[in-house]
Amino acid sequence: MSAEALAPIPDVRREARNAERRRLLLWLGPPAAWFAVFMLLPHLSLLYVSLGHMDYVDFVPGFSAANYVKIFTVEPYLGVTFKSFNNGLMTAVLASLIAYPLALWMAFGVSSARARALVSVLVILPWLASYMVKAYAWKTILGTQGVVNSLLVSAGVVAEPLETLMYSRFAVILTLTYIFTPFCVISIYAQLERIPPSLIEAARNLGATDLEILRRIVLPISIPGVFAGAVIVFSLAFSDFITSTLVGGPSDLMISSIMINLFGVSMDRPLASAIGFLMLALAAVLLVTMQWVEKRVQVRF
Amino acid sequence: MSDRVLAAILAALFLPLCALPTAANAAGRLNILTWEGYADASFVKPFTDKTGCTVKATYVGSGDEFVAKLVGGGAIFDLASPQSDITRRLVDAGAVEAVDLGRVPNAAKLSAVFQRPAWLEKDGKTWGVPYTFGVVRIIVDADKVPNPPQSLEVLWSDKYKGKVSMWDDLETVYTAARLAGVKDVYNMTDAELAKAKELLLRQKPMVKKYWFTAGELDTLLANREVWVANAWETNLVNAWRAGRNIVEIVPKEGRGAWTDSWMIARGAGKNPCVYQWLDYTATPEAQAAGHKVTGFGYSNPGMLDKLDPQTRGYLKRLQMDDPAILTRVNWWQTVKRRNLYLETWNQVKAAAN
Repeated sequence: MSAEALAPIPDVRREARNAERRRLLLWLGPPAAWFAVFMLLPHLSLLYVSLGHMDYVDFVPGFSAANYVKIFTVEPYLGVTFKSFNNGLMTAVLASLIAYPLALWMAFGVSSARARALVSVLVILPWLASYMVKAYAWKTILGTQGVVNSLLVSAGVVAEPLETLMYSRFAVILTLTYIFTPFCVISIYAQLERIPPSLIEAARNLGATDLEILRRIVLPISIPGVFAGAVIVFSLAFSDFITSTLVGGPSDLMISSIMINLFGVSMDRPLASAIGFLMLALAAVLLVTMQWVEKRVQVRF
Repeated sequence: MSDRVLAAILAALFLPLCALPTAANAAGRLNILTWEGYADASFVKPFTDKTGCTVKATYVGSGDEFVAKLVGGGAIFDLASPQSDITRRLVDAGAVEAVDLGRVPNAAKLSAVFQRPAWLEKDGKTWGVPYTFGVVRIIVDADKVPNPPQSLEVLWSDKYKGKVSMWDDLETVYTAARLAGVKDVYNMTDAELAKAKELLLRQKPMVKKYWFTAGELDTLLANREVWVANAWETNLVNAWRAGRNIVEIVPKEGRGAWTDSWMIARGAGKNPCVYQWLDYTATPEAQAAGHKVTGFGYSNPGMLDKLDPQTRGYLKRLQMDDPAILTRVNWWQTVKRRNLYLETWNQVKAAAN
């Protein structure tokens, strides 16, 4: 009797468990499908194409490492990849250095919430302007007839306009830093904002100076924000080609420009794919390294 | 949120993605794969009014897109307008069909050089109708460069260090090869390619900027940042309109020239709108309207009479209607070893200045 009375319960339970499973599938299905279709599949096809070669207009599939060997043995592929990597790193470091004081001031120097919101908007506002417009703007600032040169000449600092400001690596890094710094500001600010004022007050009550508070409390806690911002900026600057095309000099070739040309001029998709794979690998190495460093310097509270 | 609502939202989000592209080659409409400006409303609308054919244009960002989208791309497009160094690739790949010139009466009125040109001929058939062209001009700022030599040497002269701008294109490799005395610049041997590279490296200190768009060169010239360049006709015309004393030199080593042609995607010839478009875009009226948009040269010399006197004057000064000049320029041809040319060009650009 009692067994019969209890019998339906496992069914109900199983039913509930199945419903739970269906729900889980419904929620996890789309992100998993997204990951498979837009992450896994494209990268696998990238790898597949990079192992083949072109025969006139036809792609010939294969399993040859020839394209990878070429990248490492024939100039300019590896050299330009590292130069672009360097540009990305330099931009990330400069953007972080510029962003940090600004984020610090936003988090601790601006007292009213309204003023803070206003500063945040001002930091993000340039993002509403088109990327090309911002890059072009630097042409009018740095050009021989530009704002900087006009000021320098009229102030008598230089007799002739400086030719090196524009169409140089300097112009490329400056423009990239200008365009991408807001990413660092927002990322660092989000981290600093989380520091409770009580923590700072406690440190001060115990006799810590402002510098000590910055060095021993604020800086260590903000490291993840700095790294997150730097990684985003690095990835964007590493793969950029528009800025170097617009304001770079004759030698400021970026690896993405080469990739576009491989597609657009010589139709060598396999070699372009191999370079793409190398870029992904380099970025992955950098990410893993940063994660490793972050684990060692990060402070939790 | 209930499961059903979520499922409905997901369905609403993803189902539209499954909608099929509209069938190609539909009667009364044309799908055109082309450069921006080659299907401008200013001359497409009169075409639609006259023929009833609506035109849907898809724009390419670089020449290879013609190959990528037409070769094995399914029958999405009816017409395409590739440049002369790509036409043969499309013919060889079987992506296009031969043109029945009897159905394009206006094609007979195109300049002599565009009557069955080499880059559109194969197996005794013609595979396209020439549309636009441009001669790559060597230009100098006459205020800064008095009495320039009629030679490519001017682009290599260290008197103009940092004042030279070259087109960021394989054309600049061809230009160096012409200076090196290479006979067939579109089919160079390794040794010839190496000679061209050596010259390009020697030129680098003179180069301020490899220009990427014609507008960019306009700005460099307007700011007097550049005195010597290889350029498009639009650069000269824009400088003349602004009253600048910029002149063209005709190098004894020869000049390169590009040209785009309308080609019919395989199987699209049965769409009646296709031949109507080919004939219409060969008329002086449609080509004059096209010139207003692009500033390029057009294949029917009759188009000059449909332009305003000032523009006509500029084009006459550029000898855009002179058959003798057009026969002498070095028209772009298929470069079999395009990847090696590009690699050389990238090596030059990557080298330290």
